[in-house]
Amino acid sequence: MRARRSFRRWRRSRPFWGGLFIVAAAVEIFLTVKAPLPVVLHVGMQGLAGFLVPIIMLLCGLLLWFSPVSRTFYSVLALLMALASWVTSNLGGFLIGLLLGLIGGSLAFAWQPGPPPKPKRVVTEGG
Amino acid sequence: MSDPDDQEEQPQGKTRWRRFALTMGISAMVTAGLVVLTGQGVIAASFSVSGLPFVVTADELQGTGFEQYAVLDQMAPGSPNEGDTGGQLILIVSAIDNAKLTNLCQSINLGGTNLRLTAGNAEHPVTATKLIVDSDLISGDASFTKIDIGQDASTLTRVPGATGGIGIFGQQAEAVSIKHLRQNNYATTASTFNLPGLRMSFSSEGC
Repeated sequence: MRARRSFRRWRRSRPFWGGLFIVAAAVEIFLTVKAPLPVVLHVGMQGLAGFLVPIIMLLCGLLLWFSPVSRTFYSVLALLMALASWVTSNLGGFLIGLLLGLIGGSLAFAWQPGPPPKPKRVVTEGG
Repeated sequence: MSDPDDQEEQPQGKTRWRRFALTMGISAMVTAGLVVLTGQGVIAASFSVSGLPFVVTADELQGTGFEQYAVLDQMAPGSPNEGDTGGQLILIVSAIDNAKLTNLCQSINLGGTNLRLTAGNAEHPVTATKLIVDSDLISGDASFTKIDIGQDASTLTRVPGATGGIGIFGQQAEAVSIKHLRQNNYATTASTFNLPGLRMSFSSEGC
């Protein structure tokens, strides 16, 4: 019960759902590009980009959770990476990962923290 | 607001839905732009697919710089696609430096439904560079120019960067043309893929 409550508190103090969608998008895209590494190295830069884009998205999703202060940067980067995945990574994981990434990035970008905690019992409304 | 004791301790975040809708709208428009530009062949996409067997057909393939050799592929342990193969497959690797395909159709069986991708016609064919395909079946009417058959796979030179294992049978040709191409593929990579007339759909039939 206490664990659930503290998880909820943790969840609500950061763009949790945005991060989750971005992580899901990154995993989906990554699964579609899992080519054998030697083949990827043969293809060269562009094959590598196919890998790098979902990895950067995964990092963005995780950092939105663990460093929510810089959420604007991470959410915009995640949005750009999701769009770039269309070109680099199997048409954005056959479009599914791209859309998940856009939803996640937009959610995180639109998230705002609540007002800072008010000192207890000194609350006076007015002005 | 239902739980008075945690809102005092921790700031409660919220989502500004109008901002979400605006961001989502803009990025969806950019995505639509990317899809359209790819469909017109302006943007080239990069592909690498493996693990799922999928079928590729094309009315005609024309390529310059062609190599072919065999590899033994090992599936991930416990893969449901193992069947009675013991997890090992002998696959033919075909590498083409520059390829042009007319009426390309590619389908992946997702169990019950197929993801089907078609692109390219005679006027605006699909073009691909460094196309490397692992397949267990290739059929079609092929003709080659300047073919060397039986060259050691490790010494192939027609596609820079793609060579097979030492001591393995290989062949290479300066140019290749295959009509009524049909391939059962296990992996494909291409560093650039131009897909004019791209259509993606789910359908009950494959290619």
